[in-house]
Amino acid sequence: VATRAITCPFCALACDDLGAAEAGVDTRGCAKAAAGFARDAGRTEHRVRGKPVPLADAVAAAAALLSQARLPLITGAGADLAGIRALIALADRAGAVIDPWQSMVLRRNFAVTQESGALTATFGEVANRADAILLLGGDPAPDYPRVFERLVDNGTPLFRSTPPSLAYLGPAAAAPRRTMAAAIHLDSNRLLDGVAALHAALAGRLPRDADIAGVPAAAFVELGERLSAAHYGAILWDVRNLADDGKAVVATVLRILRHLNRRTRAVGLPLAGSDNALGFVQALLWQTGWPAQVSLAGGAPEHDPWRFDAARLIAAGEIDALLWVAGLSHSPPPATMAPTVALLAPDIALTGEAAVEIRVGVPGLDHPGTLVRADAVVALPLDAVRKTALPSVAAVAQAIVESLGARA
Amino acid sequence: MITRLAGGRIYDPEHGEQGVARDLYVSDGRIVAAPAGGKADHSYDLGGAIVMAGGIDIHSHLAGGKVNLSRLLMADDHRDELMERGALTRSGSGWTTPSSFATGYRYAAMGYTAAFEPAMVPSNARLAHLEMTDLPMVDKGVYLMLGNDELLLQMLAREAPQEQIDDYIAWMMRATAALGIKTVNPGGISAFKSNLRDLDITDTTHGVTPRRVVNALARAVYELGVPHPLHIHCNNLGLPGNIETTLATIAAAEGFPIHLTHAQFHSYGREGDRRFSSAAARLAEAVNRNPHVTLDVGQIMFGQTVTASGDTMAQYRNRAFASPDKWILMDIECDGGCGIVPFRYRDRQFVNALQWAIGLELFLLVEDPWRIFLTTDHPNGGPFPTYPHLLRLLMDRDFRDANFARLHPAAQKASILPTLKREYSLNEVAMMTRAAPARILGLADRGHLGVGAAADVAVYVEDADRERMFTTPKHVFKDGVEVAREGRILATPSGSTHIVRPEGDDAIEGPLRRFFADHMSVGLDHFRLAPAEIEGAGGHLITQACRPRRRA
Repeated sequence: VATRAITCPFCALACDDLGAAEAGVDTRGCAKAAAGFARDAGRTEHRVRGKPVPLADAVAAAAALLSQARLPLITGAGADLAGIRALIALADRAGAVIDPWQSMVLRRNFAVTQESGALTATFGEVANRADAILLLGGDPAPDYPRVFERLVDNGTPLFRSTPPSLAYLGPAAAAPRRTMAAAIHLDSNRLLDGVAALHAALAGRLPRDADIAGVPAAAFVELGERLSAAHYGAILWDVRNLADDGKAVVATVLRILRHLNRRTRAVGLPLAGSDNALGFVQALLWQTGWPAQVSLAGGAPEHDPWRFDAARLIAAGEIDALLWVAGLSHSPPPATMAPTVALLAPDIALTGEAAVEIRVGVPGLDHPGTLVRADAVVALPLDAVRKTALPSVAAVAQAIVESLGARA
Repeated sequence: MITRLAGGRIYDPEHGEQGVARDLYVSDGRIVAAPAGGKADHSYDLGGAIVMAGGIDIHSHLAGGKVNLSRLLMADDHRDELMERGALTRSGSGWTTPSSFATGYRYAAMGYTAAFEPAMVPSNARLAHLEMTDLPMVDKGVYLMLGNDELLLQMLAREAPQEQIDDYIAWMMRATAALGIKTVNPGGISAFKSNLRDLDITDTTHGVTPRRVVNALARAVYELGVPHPLHIHCNNLGLPGNIETTLATIAAAEGFPIHLTHAQFHSYGREGDRRFSSAAARLAEAVNRNPHVTLDVGQIMFGQTVTASGDTMAQYRNRAFASPDKWILMDIECDGGCGIVPFRYRDRQFVNALQWAIGLELFLLVEDPWRIFLTTDHPNGGPFPTYPHLLRLLMDRDFRDANFARLHPAAQKASILPTLKREYSLNEVAMMTRAAPARILGLADRGHLGVGAAADVAVYVEDADRERMFTTPKHVFKDGVEVAREGRILATPSGSTHIVRPEGDDAIEGPLRRFFADHMSVGLDHFRLAPAEIEGAGGHLITQACRPRRRA
């Protein structure tokens, strides 16, 4: 009776059928969700140079640190949408670079959209229409545990009459643990050759006697025919399963999809964006016009995937202040010489000492919020399921902005 | 505190005022009656300047998933157009699809105080509304895209009674905080997902015709008493000969009020050597004859832009014209879609040139300025900062003729534009861009300057160059606060979101809940956007009244 459906914030599938009750959260058999909802709330003290302080003092110290910096960087992963909006406002006010952590992985998808476009669909379309699904590069289930349940095993689809046929193209060791109607195994560093061969096969340009990474041409021809024969084909990949040439893989997949759509329908569904990274990308797009790797240091938004990549800036020692946000992810701040303000969920252990350590709540666990799903269309409301006094990232970022304003 | 706007000339068509020299008084965000003795705490000397209510853009793609995808696609546009942060303002970028803050600042600096996003897919409602809380300066609102949602198509296919359809529409509007209902290529977006490549209004897809979709939705909107009539993007956008579809759409409404949007893209004949001709006169004649029909033009403006539309079927066709050559297509959640194709409209290109002329023909041939609205279908026909140029084309015949003379010669031969001598008056401009949009949207206290109206006011210095005049108003007030002066931003209010909450029988929630559980990828309770989510993000909601006309 007292069970309410809640949304899980711990991966970008954003499953919203979990049951929250007095006794705890029914995580529907998902180990990732179970671990997430069991996260410890032990560390609640804010600190400046290791010494416990009231939140207001920590905020003032963070503002002082950011205001003195010539090139501050705001990065990390894991804030709800309100937190992200406030972080971008802070970056604008402080003249900071802002970039979702590991945005170079997201870039494998969005750079292709910037340069060539995209042909995609949301979860609901794939779950209701797809009659053939090609999984690319590896099993998405480790990152997205309920992906097959959500996208493939829909028992009451609107449009298809039988379950979708599954195919796989990728390394054998990472193959999904599902029965495949067709599978082509090749090393992950040959995946680009694999999708290029599939495109060539569709275009009738693949020599019959060709051998691609040890796979005979006929296998690609057969896979192409399978997709061509589908009413609504879907190509699905977990962007983290792609290698450094992932952008070229995605660009080739786009060419495959364009080819297929001349006669039938086919769509891509890239899976990405856990820790609300796509919420970060969406809010950056609407507030600055750019998806990631944005500098607000010069007064107007600049985008450069190399110069403003957070990991590179840290590694190269180009920044003189770091604001690290980890409200959803487990990650402590990366090692840097720059003084660090760390906004951390209460279960994250700091290996060293941060200049300023502020403990924040986990959205969906400690406070309500909004999370953007992997298809970047649907945003879901997050609930609070336990009582803590931890502030949200939004509240902290807004307080820092106000403190900066008071200093000006 | 009372503020006096002294010595202006008032254009307020709602009250029949055409250049009336009188002072305007503002207090607490509202227009108030002149206080005894005309005493005010603060006074602006307008020195004979033109005073109008703030501009209202009835159709502008300003927020939501497809706008964000457009921003992503139009990287060069964002690199070339930068806006630095100021003491009051946030930084931004982009010309054709500016970032959210820049959008608000630009509208306000141009004298506009409200703009409405016309194509929100149901599943994107939460994200679109949260994005709009970062769009300051102007009031806003959204039209919910229906008519390709599989649930409605199923209801129509099994001939569900109209009452149920009304209940469904009412529920959906409340759940998504909508102000109006729009249908885009009714049935066609769904059909395209099933690999149909074209769909005319009498064709059948999944047991339903677009004609039936239009009729059911127009009727539901009318019966629920939603002020804004069904907002229709007809089938066959952009195709030569589509005037027949457009006229058939008017017929399909069977007298229920409808609004035809970006009508320019739906006013094409198939005559001439090039099998592409203007049918503006035919549409204008039909509109003049049918008082229940309104339209906005969707004028094209020469230059680079991007087209962002829910109409995947049309946008898939249009990919052939992409410039630069890249495009996005997305199928969305069994309720809609989006297609994004960059365009560069050129005056020396026959089709573009004739499109330009067709839009202007519509403006000049539709007789009643209360029923035609100034739009470029931002950004699809051109970005909204081009409105002042468009106003000059309408108000200055010599300027229009000079521009016409630069068109592709065959387009010049194919247009009657030079024979149209009409020039819009300031009063007609105030109707078309203020009073009439407020009326058609049901915004009783906007679009006019009567006592009690919200003090959204734009003050323009009279200038024979109407483009210059309308580009940079002398003063702009939003809810009584001066927000812009000669293009400079002085204050950054967040603006309100206008919604309606039509009443329906909540029994519809039972079958809806089942449909969501069986087919959709979110539960009904999480699909539904709580008003508190918008307010909690800094938004402010204003609920406009519905006047139900349901049968007993």
